[in-house]
Amino acid sequence: MTYESQKIALKYFVISAIFFGLQVILGILLILKYIWPDPLIGILPFNTARTIHTNLLVVWMLFGFMGGTYYVIPEEARTEIYSKKLANLQFWLLLLGGLVAVIGFLFGWTAGRPLLELPVELKWAIVVIALIFIFNVFLTMKKTKNWTAIQGLLLGGIVMLAVMWLFGIPFFKNLTLDYYYWWWVIHLWVEGAWELIAASLMAFILLKITGIERNIIEKWLYIEVALVLFTGIIGTGHHYYWIGTPEYWLWWGGIFSALEPVPIILMVFDTLNHVRHRKIEITNRLVLYWVVGCAIYHLIGAGVWGIIHTLPVVNRWTHGTQVTTSHGHMAFFGAYAMLIITIIYYALPKLKGIEKFNQKPGFWAFWIMTIGMTVMGLAFGAAGIVQSYFQRGLGMDFLVVQEFMKPWFKAVFFGGLGFFIGVLIYIYDIIKLATTKTV
Amino acid sequence: MEKKTARNLFIWGTVICTIVFIWLTIDTHSTIPKRTNTDKLTDEVVLGKRVWHKYNCNDCHTILGIGGYYAPDMTKVYSTRGETWLKAFLKNPETPDPQRRKMPNQGLSEDEINKLIAFLKWVDGIDTNEWPPKPITVAKVTKTPIDETLQLLKGKNLYNQHRCDLCHQIGGQGGIIGPDLSKVGAKREKEWLFIQIKDPKSHNPNTQMPAYPQLKDEEIQAMVSFLAGLK
Repeated sequence: MTYESQKIALKYFVISAIFFGLQVILGILLILKYIWPDPLIGILPFNTARTIHTNLLVVWMLFGFMGGTYYVIPEEARTEIYSKKLANLQFWLLLLGGLVAVIGFLFGWTAGRPLLELPVELKWAIVVIALIFIFNVFLTMKKTKNWTAIQGLLLGGIVMLAVMWLFGIPFFKNLTLDYYYWWWVIHLWVEGAWELIAASLMAFILLKITGIERNIIEKWLYIEVALVLFTGIIGTGHHYYWIGTPEYWLWWGGIFSALEPVPIILMVFDTLNHVRHRKIEITNRLVLYWVVGCAIYHLIGAGVWGIIHTLPVVNRWTHGTQVTTSHGHMAFFGAYAMLIITIIYYALPKLKGIEKFNQKPGFWAFWIMTIGMTVMGLAFGAAGIVQSYFQRGLGMDFLVVQEFMKPWFKAVFFGGLGFFIGVLIYIYDIIKLATTKTV
Repeated sequence: MEKKTARNLFIWGTVICTIVFIWLTIDTHSTIPKRTNTDKLTDEVVLGKRVWHKYNCNDCHTILGIGGYYAPDMTKVYSTRGETWLKAFLKNPETPDPQRRKMPNQGLSEDEINKLIAFLKWVDGIDTNEWPPKPITVAKVTKTPIDETLQLLKGKNLYNQHRCDLCHQIGGQGGIIGPDLSKVGAKREKEWLFIQIKDPKSHNPNTQMPAYPQLKDEEIQAMVSFLAGLK
């Protein structure tokens, strides 16, 4: 750590880890509802629990990205953050917003649109928080005008994130148009804005841990994000097959989304290449594990699992089944959860001025989480294949087929329980690191 | 490749892709009135959509294949279940089987139910490029509609109102607790069916099927006519 104001990132990281844990608890409750009759149906029905599960995901990832950005920007711009006060204010607003939202959901205060359940008042509050964030980050960069590709693309990602969010605010009378623009938030976040942010943060970490020249790292960064956006923007079309939009989307969406794994393959290749040709010894072995694991799991969860059911001939049968759940879980874990954990394990010891720390819990967390998520992902996938075949293929009744899927839901539960243990170790480790007294 | 080339590739590639995407969006908008029947998108339908949002239905059910995967897809529910069934179900979604996945009773008012059904009716008409796909096997069964005389129609409605489908299947639709009724007319006499509905325990004292004392004899007759026609 070189700049005092980087310390702001610390509390963002801690909250990110805790919310991650809460998200997984909700996830376990959700899978139990698939297996046994639900005793909580009166207080926490499935829809409310799912709302909290998915919104907590978004919030903990935003905390992670924001913390990561506040850590990276001073080092890249070579100056202190423009306003520490604003960064703190933004933290408390986001925390308050998150808590109000969760309590609101419990009492049925919802906009009723999947993943965008936040009531309109809170959606505008998010806009305010995003504006504070962009303002603070931009003015920090402007202070020194030491523009680098990493900070440029990071800023681009944050701005895109805020702009796309606006399409999720209005009420649409037409369900088809509702979902048309719903994907401008959901898809263009995860396959656009978030990718920009994630790729920039990853480039920063690679730059720091491998000692490779900035020019090479940034060149690859440009190529990757270029390919991400070429395939990702028009690739939004793979969500426009069956929602009432024209048939030509089957072609546009099919072709462009089939290319979406290309930049991810490049990222794996590029990460491994940088690590292999490193100029300095990598002392933080744990970070190295998470970096490489992230690249590989990103490819499996987002790339392989995505392409399996993105083509219209397959998607016709798998759309709206647990196949999507399988892809969603593995892609989010590989592309974003692991990335945020990487940043935290890189930045947190530096913020505390810790040279060496006990990495055993971190490695345990790595293996348990990765294996747990793989079990979950495969079991969700198997459930989805059963569902696609019996429900869509043979036309059997929805609830009848759910009975056939129960063994796989039980496997999801055990995978999830394992994953939760991994997450608990991770939270324990992060809190321990964050509260270490340093001289 | 130089870093500068890579940067230009990024900038111009993104700009071009964005322009193509916006062009496709504009074209899509021009097809929406026809594909989604916007002339039938009345105020009542919009109010029905608000009911749909108010109770957060979409986080259990999918619609157009999007949403929660906990409960059935609602895209074609209007044409597969029909208005009578939907009304009865929305008023009281309870099921007699404690092991079965439940929908909590939302306590919808009559007015809300009507609006919600208007919304689902409109959604049913959206041109979804033939999604959900017709199942490979039951397509044959559903293609031959039952000859619906007044008596049969009454029987079918009663079958739906009293939620017989929770336990029984007809043509692949329904539960598995009770026997499949798709061909019950070929297996059972009308008299047998009448007694089975009036007093299920008279045939099998251990049966799980509840009696329906609220049904009048003529209503049971109508249901028997409907069931006897299933061959």
